[in-house]
This record gives sequence, C-alpha cells and structure tokens, in this order.
Amino acid sequence: CNKLEEDPNSIVTASQFYKTQSDAVSAVSAIYSTLNTDAAGDFVIYGRNLNLLTGNGSDDQIFSPSNTNTDVRALGTATYVPANDRIKKNWQQHYFGISRANVAIDNIPGIDFDTTTRARLVREAKFIRGLLYFNIVRLWGDAPLVLHDPTSTNVDAQKMKRSPKDSIYAQIISDLNDATLLPKAYTGADVGRATSGAAHAILAKVYLTRREWSKAATELQTVINGGYGYALFDNFLDAFQQASKNGKEHIFSVQFGTNLGAKNSTNSLSVCNFGSFNPAVYPGDQPADSSLYQLFASFDTRRDVTFFTQLYNSATGKYVQFGAARFAKFIDYAISPLTNQNISGINFPVIRYADVLLMQAEVLNELNGPTAGAYAAINQVRARAKISNLTAGLSQADFRDSVFLERRKEFIQEGNRWFDLSRRGGTYLYDALKKYPLKTGAAVKDTLYPIPQSEIDINNQLTQNPGW
Amino acid sequence: YAQTVNEPVINSTLTGIVVDSKSQTPLIGALVRIKGTTNQVLSDNKGKFFFKTGQKLPYVLEAVYIGYKKQEIEATSSPLTISLVENESQLNEVVVVGYGTQRKSDLTGAVASVNKGLLSQPAASFDNLLQGSVPGINVTQSSGAPGATATIRVRGGNSISFGNAPLYVIDGFIIYNNNDNVNTGASNGVGVNALSTINPSDIESIEILKDASATAIYGSRGANGVVVITTKRGKRGRDEISYSTYVGQQQVRKKLNLLTASQWASLINDVNSSTGSAKTYSDAAIAALGAGTDWQSAALRKGPIQNHELSVSGGDDKSRYLISGNYFNQDGIVVNTGFKRYSGRINYERNIGDKLKVSTNIFGSQSVENKLFGNNYNSINFQSTAFANLLQVSPVVPVYNADGSYYTASPYSSIPTNPIQDFKSTINRTYIRRILGNASAEYKILKDLTLKVTGGTDLINTKQNYYSPSYAGSPGGSSTGYSSQGFAAVGSIAASTWINENTLTWDHAFSNKHFLNVLAGYTTQHQEDQSAVASAQKFPNDLTTFNNLNYAGTAVLSTSDAHESSLNSYLARASYSYNHKYNVTISLRSDGSSKLGKNNRWGYFPSLGLSWNAGRESFFRPASQVVNDLKLRASAGRTGNSEVPPYSSLAALSPSNYYFNGTLVTGIAPTQIANPDLKWETTTQYNVGLDAGFWNNRLTFTFDAYYKKTSDLLLNVPFPLYSGYASVLENVGSVENKGIELSISSDNIKGSDFTWKTTAVFAANRNKILSLGQGTDYYYPLAPTGYVSPVIVKVGLPVGSFWGYNTAGLLTAADVAKGVPYLTGVSQQEGDTKYVDTNGDGAITTADKHYLGSAQPKFTFGLSNTLAYKGFDLSFFFQGSYGNKIFNFLQQKLEIPTLSLNASATLLDRYSAGNPNGKVAKATNAPVAQVTDRYVEDGSYVKLKTLSLGYAVPRDVIRQLHISQLRVYVTAQNIWTWTSYTGLDPEVNFFDSDNTKQGIDYGAYPSTKGFLAGLNLTF
Repeated sequence: CNKLEEDPNSIVTASQFYKTQSDAVSAVSAIYSTLNTDAAGDFVIYGRNLNLLTGNGSDDQIFSPSNTNTDVRALGTATYVPANDRIKKNWQQHYFGISRANVAIDNIPGIDFDTTTRARLVREAKFIRGLLYFNIVRLWGDAPLVLHDPTSTNVDAQKMKRSPKDSIYAQIISDLNDATLLPKAYTGADVGRATSGAAHAILAKVYLTRREWSKAATELQTVINGGYGYALFDNFLDAFQQASKNGKEHIFSVQFGTNLGAKNSTNSLSVCNFGSFNPAVYPGDQPADSSLYQLFASFDTRRDVTFFTQLYNSATGKYVQFGAARFAKFIDYAISPLTNQNISGINFPVIRYADVLLMQAEVLNELNGPTAGAYAAINQVRARAKISNLTAGLSQADFRDSVFLERRKEFIQEGNRWFDLSRRGGTYLYDALKKYPLKTGAAVKDTLYPIPQSEIDINNQLTQNPGW
Repeated sequence: YAQTVNEPVINSTLTGIVVDSKSQTPLIGALVRIKGTTNQVLSDNKGKFFFKTGQKLPYVLEAVYIGYKKQEIEATSSPLTISLVENESQLNEVVVVGYGTQRKSDLTGAVASVNKGLLSQPAASFDNLLQGSVPGINVTQSSGAPGATATIRVRGGNSISFGNAPLYVIDGFIIYNNNDNVNTGASNGVGVNALSTINPSDIESIEILKDASATAIYGSRGANGVVVITTKRGKRGRDEISYSTYVGQQQVRKKLNLLTASQWASLINDVNSSTGSAKTYSDAAIAALGAGTDWQSAALRKGPIQNHELSVSGGDDKSRYLISGNYFNQDGIVVNTGFKRYSGRINYERNIGDKLKVSTNIFGSQSVENKLFGNNYNSINFQSTAFANLLQVSPVVPVYNADGSYYTASPYSSIPTNPIQDFKSTINRTYIRRILGNASAEYKILKDLTLKVTGGTDLINTKQNYYSPSYAGSPGGSSTGYSSQGFAAVGSIAASTWINENTLTWDHAFSNKHFLNVLAGYTTQHQEDQSAVASAQKFPNDLTTFNNLNYAGTAVLSTSDAHESSLNSYLARASYSYNHKYNVTISLRSDGSSKLGKNNRWGYFPSLGLSWNAGRESFFRPASQVVNDLKLRASAGRTGNSEVPPYSSLAALSPSNYYFNGTLVTGIAPTQIANPDLKWETTTQYNVGLDAGFWNNRLTFTFDAYYKKTSDLLLNVPFPLYSGYASVLENVGSVENKGIELSISSDNIKGSDFTWKTTAVFAANRNKILSLGQGTDYYYPLAPTGYVSPVIVKVGLPVGSFWGYNTAGLLTAADVAKGVPYLTGVSQQEGDTKYVDTNGDGAITTADKHYLGSAQPKFTFGLSNTLAYKGFDLSFFFQGSYGNKIFNFLQQKLEIPTLSLNASATLLDRYSAGNPNGKVAKATNAPVAQVTDRYVEDGSYVKLKTLSLGYAVPRDVIRQLHISQLRVYVTAQNIWTWTSYTGLDPEVNFFDSDNTKQGIDYGAYPSTKGFLAGLNLTF
C-alpha cells in the first residue's frame, strides 16, 4: 500500500519556505526578476513591453513592417481595443511583480534574522511595488490595489473594485518613503539593488506627475545634493553600454546579463533594435518617420547613439547601409558577432541622472519661472550632448516646451515619452499623436489605456475607462 | 360409401438427446428435423426429443440450436445422442476485458476487437495501426517522421486541459502513455513516441473498451477508453520456429508548390515597388535565375525500411512459451533522420500441480531515433520544424559552391550557414531502453475460486544527445550552434512504474443456467521519474560533439527534475448471466491518488450494464434462419480522469533569476496557489448497443450510441491577473460527447476456392463545451508571440475550434471608393484582403471574429476488404475522415511576402496592376497575419492506406523442406489519397496531444508512401 501524501523533493512548497535569511533574500530577488524576465518567455516589462505602450503608443514610433502582431500595430496606430494582448500583458507583468513584492512584504518580517538586512529587504520590495504601481496608475488610472497574496483558488474571493487614483498614489508615496531609508549605495554583488537615491528620484517623479512641484523639488534636491555622487557620463553612449553599467549616471536600472550560456536574460529591446545585417529585414521597433531623426542636430552626440543608418559588420569588414534611420540605443556592441542581441547585457535605465536634471529644470520653471537654476539644469544635459545652451530669456511656457523637447530627445526608447505626453494633460497627448496620418484616430480616451477586456470578462466589479 | 380414416403408418420411433459437445450438458429447445420433411420437434427441458414417423430408419436428421453449428446426422438406431458444437460466432468468442475474460455473449459493454488483418500490417508503432480499425477510435499522426507521436482519442476528448489519451493494458500491465517520460529537454524538434518502443509484431490481439460498463473497472483512469493488448503466446502441442521479414522503400508523398527563383525575384520587385523602392532584379536577371534551388528535394531522399522477426514458441499440457526477437530499421525520407528498434520478448506460463499456475511476460527493447531538429521560436514553448523553415529558404540561394562545398554566403541569412549542411551535421538522437515485465501466480483455492497475484514493472530509460556544430544554424542554446561556437546537450530521464494487483475471482454456474462471476481486488501502483540535462557551448572544435562537455568553454546551467506519484485502488465486479440470455454486470472501483488535493483524494466509479440475447428467445426461432444472433445492450456508469502532473494541488514556489552587478542570483516565489479540494474529472457515460448476426453470421453488425458528460473538469481557470496568477487549477466546467458507431462485417463470397470479406466501420462524435465555470464564456489558448491564437475554448463550441475573420476576396477599387470597413490598426488598400464586417458595426475589429469550424471530424470511417483465391490473398484498406478543419498555419506564413524568404506558388496569382483578378492579396512589405477563413481548410480525406497481395506456398511444395507455412507478400502503403487540403498531409497535428490546439499545421515532417515485400516462414 502506497502513501498518498505528496512529499515533493523537486519543488519548494510554501510550508517549507520563509524561514531563513536566505529565503528572504531569494524572495526579494524574485521581485527583481519580474523586471527582466517573463515566466512565459514573452517580452519583459523593461525590455520592450512597457515601451510598446510608451514608445509605440507615443509619437516616437508607429510600427515596423516586421510587426505581424496586429496588437502591436494597433498600439502604433492608436486603433487598439480593450482586448489588445500587449496591454493585457503589461497589466499582467506589473501585477505579477507586485504580487511577489506583496509576498515578500508579508512574509519577511516574520523571519528571525539580522534586523538591518531584514528591514532593507522589505524596503527593496516596497520600492519595486511603488515603482510598478506608479506605472499602473499612470497607464490605467484607477486600478485594483492588491497588497496581499490570494489564499485560495476561489475566483469570487479574488474579485475587487478599482481603487481611486489618489489612494493608489498614497500607497506609492508611502512605499517609496519607506524605501528612502534604503542604503545610499551597495558594493560587490549587491550593486544594482534599489537605493535611497532611487527612491527619492522616483518619488520626485511621482510628485512631478501630480504637479506637487515643491515636494518634487525637495526630493530632487536630495538626489542632487544628498551626497550620492550622481553625475552625467561624458559620453552619451556610456549610458547604454555593458562596460559602463551601474555607473555614476545610473540611479536605478533593470539588470541584464550576458554570461553566454548560464541563464542569460533575454533583452528583446536589443533584438528589436538590431536583428540582422540584411537591410531587407526590419527590426521590431522603428522610428515613426524621419522627423524623429531630424529633431537632432547632426552634431548632437545623442543622434548617432540613438539611431543608425549604417553599421560595421566585423565578419565582412564592411559597412552595411540601411537607408532610413533605425533605433540603435539598445544595441549591445560588446556582443560579437553582432547578431545575437537577445543575449544583450545592456541594462535598462529606469531612471538616470539626466532625468533628474530635466525634472529639476521643469520643477524650478513651474515654481519660479525659467530661473538660472532651471537653465543650469537643462544646459548640463545639453552640454553633454555637445549642443549649445538653451536660448536665454525664454518665457515660462517656452521653457516648458523646451524641457519637454529635451526630454523627448534624451529618452527615446527609455519608457518616458507617453508618460510625458499624458501628464501634460488636456489635449496634449492626442494632438501630438494626430500629427501622424496613421494616428488620426487618437482621441481623449487615449489619455488612459483601457482595462484589459479579459479582466473585466471574469470580474464584473471592474469598470472600464471612459471612452472604451 | 363409407369414409375411411387414414391411420398413419408408423415405420419407426426414435428417441434422442441433444447435448453440448464440450460439457455434455443437455441443450433445451433445440430444433430437430428429419431432413427433407416438415417433421420437426424441439428438445425438452432435459434435452430429450422423440420421433414417431412413417420414415424408415436410417434417415438424416438436422439439428439446429442458436449459437451452435447446424448439424446433420444419420440416424440408424435409437436412442441417439446429438452432440452440437458451439458456433465460433462472435457471440461465443471469449474476449479480454479488464481483469479477466468474458464470453462475448455475456458482455454488457461496448468492446471492439481490432481486425487481425490490420494488426499484421507493417508499422513502426502499433498506434499507427489503430486508425480506422474500430469505430470510435481516432488516431492522428503528428507528422510523417519515423517514430512520431500520434494523438489517440476514444469517443472524442473528455478533458480540456489534461489527459485525453486512452489507458493501455498490455498483458494485464496498466500504462498511461506519457511521452514526457521520453523527452528530456536536451533535444529539440517534435516529441518522441514512447509507444514506438513496443514491437507491433508481438501483438496477438487488441480490444478497445469504450463504454462505462467495460472501462469503469479501471475507475479514475477509464474515462478515455482502454486499449487492451494481448501479446502472442505459444500453442500447446508443438514447437514452432517462425521467421518473418519485410523490406521496402519509402518516399515523399507530396511536395509543396513554391516559387522558383525567377518567380521569387518578380515577387521581390513587387514588394519593393509597393513601398516605392527601386526594383532589385532587372528583367534579364529574372530570366537568368531560372528555377533555382528546390530546397525540398535537396533535403529529401528515399528511405529504406526493414523488419526481421524470429520467434520460437510451443507448449505441452503443462506449459506454454514464446521467445521472440525483432529488429526494425526505418530511414527517414529527410536526410539524417530515422528510427531503429531492437526488441525481445519471453512469455512463459506453467501449471504446477492442479491448483497453481505461474506466468510471466517480459519485454525489452532499445530504440534509437534520429530526429529533425526544430527551431526555437520567440523563446515561447513553440518550436517550428526545420523542414518548415527549409521551405522558406530563398530559391535563388544555391546549395553548393562550384567546388562541391556548401554555399554559406546567403545574403538572406544573418549568419553564414547552409540549411542542408545543418540537417546533415546536427545530431539530435534519442535512445530509449524499456523493460516491461510482469509475473503472476494464480491459485485455485476452490474449484471455482481463484486468487491471482501480479507484480510488474515498467522501466524506461531515455538518453538524448544533441549537438549543433560551430558552423550550423540549428538551435544552440539561446541562439544557434554558429553563434554559440558549438552547442552540446545531453539529457537523461529514468521513469519507472511498479504495480501490484491482487484479485479474487469466483466463477460459478448454478444448475447450468445461472452463471455468476464475481471479482474483487486491491491494486497499488507507484510511478517516479528523475531527469537531468547538461549542456555547454563554445567548443574549440567539433570533434567530440556531445561526448565530452569538458572541452567546452562555457557551461550552461544544468537542470534536473523528479516526480513521484501513487495510486491505490479497490475494485469489484459481478457479472451474472441467466442462460446466456439475460446478462448483468455491476462494477465498482475506488481510487486514491496522491496527485489530487488532500480533501478529495478518493473517488468512486460505479457502472451497470445489461444485455439481452433476444436471438436466443424461443419466439425468435422462426426468424433464426435469417437473423441468427441478436443482442441488445445498455450501460451506464462513471469513470474518472486525474492525469494532472504530480504536486498540482500544492502551494508551489518556483525559481527565477536576476543579476546583481553581473552576478546571477536565484529568486524564489509562489507560482501556484494550493488547492486542497482538487479532485477527479468525472465522466458519466450512457451507452446502448445492438449486435446482430445474419445468415449464420455471414453478415454481422454492431451498432452503439452513447452520451458522455464530463464534469468537474480539471481546468486551468483564468484568474484575475491582478492577483499575480494567470490561472489556477480548479474543477469547473463540463464537456459533452455524443455519438454513434457502426461496424459491419460481411463474408460476401464464401466459396471453397474463393472468399471475399469486407469490414466497414463508421463513427460520428459530437463534442461540445457545456460550461467553463461561472463567469467564463471563453478563453484563448496561448499562441506564439507575434501570432494571433487561431483557436478558442468557448462554451457551446467543440474543443479545438478555430476562431477568426471571414474574408470576401480582395478589396476592389469600388470597395475603396465606397469606404468599406478596414481592419482596424492596418492601412488597407486595393488588392489587400477584404475582411467581412460580420457584426455590421461598420468596423473590422476582433468582435467580427467568429467560429470557423473545428478540428474534430464529423465522422470517420474505415473499409477493409480481403479476397482470397486458393493460395492468393489480396487486401486493401481505405480509411478516411470527414468534416474536420485544419488551420494551415504554414500556408499563411508562405503567403506573407518578405524580402528574404521563399513563398507559396499561390502568390503567382497575386493581385497587381497587371493581374487585377488575382486571388491572393497583393505583394506588400507590411502584410498582416490574421486568422482568416482562407487558412482554415477542409481536412477531409480518404486514403488507401494499404494494398497487399500475398501468396501462401502450397504445403505439398514446402513439406520436403520441413516448412509448415510459407507466405510471401507485397504491400503498398499510402499510395492514394483524396483530399482538398492544400498542405502536405491532412493527417497533421503540430501541437500533438494538446487538446485545445488540434489540427494546426505548422509544417510537419512530410508524409510518406512506400512499397514493401515480405515473407512469413514457419518450421
């Protein structure tokens, strides 16, 4: 007679776990991994999926001829519907990360080990939870506020309503405030974890988005003058290459690794920048049209880091001409041969110091108009790009426009453009989109993404966003 | 004139008795007639009869009794004993049922035997032989690859998410075939078939148990039908040595029509002009390109096949034995593929004294399969076959350089590789070693009370070797062998099952009228598997391939896994027959499975079956000259399914990875919510059946109608995504299957020299999803990223339904002018696909998608004929399917023009300014891959599966050579197919056993036709 109790030795079960410091560390590593891996092998949040909403959904991109997925094309042409699979996948991935953060925040305090490390791990979890909810609230507005792991497979018990935007922001601010108590920096094998500087920087962006300018200014002040040592790289390219990852400009980056073999991450963004030396093969992501490329002065060092029109093939020793400009920011030139970009080890910069400086310029302008401090901040960014200082004596409105233009040029493909367009409010977002013949359908409804249809289908308590 | 009374003249009296020849028991109600007269009597309740007649002895008597052979006997004196021999009609055959045998006349369940003629056909694996063999079993080959898997369904699929394959019982040993046990993950491409390890020529008979009365004795594992396999054994009385062999050759059955080099160059020009770009090829260049490379032919070859079988068997009054060995070798029709098997068997049984009988069946085999590799696609669990990719290689690219070396400078490949070189150089090999053995002892405690104890084990050891050389484009780690500088992987998996079964059988006849058989038992079974995969890359050279990972420069993280599960069961069955006329069978099994939730581990599976041999009733006797057998059956019962993986009910945590400063760390987090209530899927099945025999069984007929409802489906239920879990495993929803089955067997001509037999089977099944749980009406099974799911799981539709747009040809200038709705998100122009606004809302959105048909056939059939004249025999077997749809994913891909891949020849009829009536959308650089009715094709087919001509050499010719039997034959396989399906073969199933993704063709290994010659020789 066989025993019918299962005693698995190939999987860890809940009753065996959350007992030691090592368990707590693993629980937090699992949260980070939601930023650079997808359980089903799909594109990851910070390796293209978020960019499909913030890049493809903005005026930077439309679609590439190689996009056979109609859901991707629909995002590029402002014709997406609530059943759009990419919108659903973003929703799912963000909440997947939040779920793992919830598990860690609920379980780690009950584990008995060094209290400093224990507090740090919980704060890291809160940082990522805050970061992900910040994306959610900006993309969808009101949303379910989930703070604990489900305890049963009963679907009905899991149904909930959307919480108002403000209560989600309250949670984000609370989580990020807790995270400001994180260490300022790490050494060795801990480099890449969330820091207090990252928490302040994201918090600044939260206040900026909410137009709480003075609170944003306080946070930015802490990042700039709080002794973190953040600074711009001299060379714009260094912000996106393996050799300089986690450098002085990087405040928080999602980490990718190339160990050629052992558990590589998959960087879809790199593959979507470069796939082949065959010019007939289009990469997954393409600039909307030549106007984006033409925004840059030819001497702007950001142009040839952000785009390529020709590329050196080390195998043939020749330059290959590609014609129209393609994205280049996430090409990992460290990989040889230059054809295997899915193992690219380029980090995704969630927030870097240039963003802090441009936020500083914006906030100061909103508080007191285009002050010298505001000019100094934006000109630091422009100087690094080797372009001249911003025209002096601009009006507050013109200065604001200049900051947004600078942001656009600085952060192509970095998950900022759609957020910048939408937070300006009014008709700003869809006016920008309508400039493209293929996006003329853009309307006020597009200032928030629709709640995924499948979520509403199984949960009648969820409401849809206006206009959908 | 006085009336006189004619006194009958009595010249003789005769008394007699009619008895059964075997048991000598009297037969009541037998009809005895004096031949050539109307004088007839019935035997009385003691079997006795009496004649008083004017006939003088001797005269000839005819005796007729239902179920017995009609007999003529010359009566010379009184008293006379007429001993009748039982008819070997189907009603009196003994058939193998669960845990025993039963007289066919007493059966209450739907049990079908596979035609022996079909079983003797050459095949790599016995599941290949089941298609069309009996009504209600549907077999779909996943591809034409040697050793390929097949999807087998008995009476439709009950489950949506798990376990739809039947249970196999081989010589009493229970196997649920799990192909995961032979696929380690080290190799790639399509799966390996664990059933191909079994030697088909060892099989004596196959019975398919279909309804609940027959399968409920297998309880929780009987819901999908049971295939009972009995292997050959020795015959008492003589020793025999047999040798049989066949050799032959196979070739591709069909190739796809693709563009030639010059046609392809024109297409490229059209694509370019669609974006206003310059033409790539001048007219002169196009003409010079000619036909270019036919990549299909470059990879195909003729594949020899051979089989050799030697067996020694025999027995005496105490024991029987059979020892056999088999060698099978099939080279695939694609280079560097093939399947080889060595196997051996020992079956032995012996009576020890009067009460004890011991027996054992031991089978061992080693098979080697060289598979075609498959390319990882979008890092999702989706591997396109290398052959599908080969079809898309540009025809302007040559295979070889002028010096005979491989051409690797294709401008359309990002790496310098050559597909034919990849095929030939990539090692993708699977070794399976299997030992299946059991031993049993039967002890007669009393004359009619038997205890049987069986112990058995099934050991499967699989080793897979993979190597993609440093110059190959075949998969190597996360990219190719070329990019990885050589990639090697080795994997092994050891799976074992052991079973112990203990049954007690009481088989008793009361006053020869009441027949009772009672069975009670306890069985226990344990399964486990352990696997490991190691791989490495960056080899300094390609010399050691997978054999020594130490030469590698970079290790890839190794993986290992292990599972265990147990099943404990109690079973009982009582069969009662009153005079073989009225029969009832009751069975009950209770199963306890470790894989289910701790609150619901035990399930109970009862059944009731009734049957009535109406043909044995006295009132039926007048018709017995025409209808000699007539039986009605009815049954009802519950069976189960619990084929979820072990640990499905537990709160499981999974690992994931991250990098801090380039250092790999492992994260652990929950991925499965505990479900302590997880329980069985329950299938309730009702069956009514009719068996009839006409003209002394010249024509026999079996009809069944059934209804099955499966509830508490083990379903991966969609969960609110904001919970952090995409789905949970719950018992919700229900599916129904209903259908009819018919089989007819006829001895069309039964002469002394010439015979002609026909067997026809027909089955129709209707499958429908009744519910997916509260609040869920549909969901889409996962599709590869970048593709839209062509299938839907939706209440009211069959499982495996296709879902997409209707199209109405192409957009005309008039359409554009009128402003017909376009597909949202796409800029459409004249000459593009015109989508139909099904819901009439003025826009083409996903709301316009609708049901485009299902992969499930409306009906299936098989027709076999055997003709024999003197020593010659000719047989042919047709098999077909009607009404099933296939999503031709490959054709969709081949109709998407690109600037680098070859395309289907259908694009020759593309819309263009010069061809405004073209049927295919115009060439563009921005095509959209949508699921449309264009690619959901009718998969109906009829195939002449085998045509075989044999000759048995007359005995007087071979006797001097001490040969007792010699038959030679030639067979043609798959030589004729009727279908309107445009793909390679309508028998295709890319996603294999996944029930929600049936009937998808993403470029399978091509199917074959072949010719074989063979001989069977017995000394």
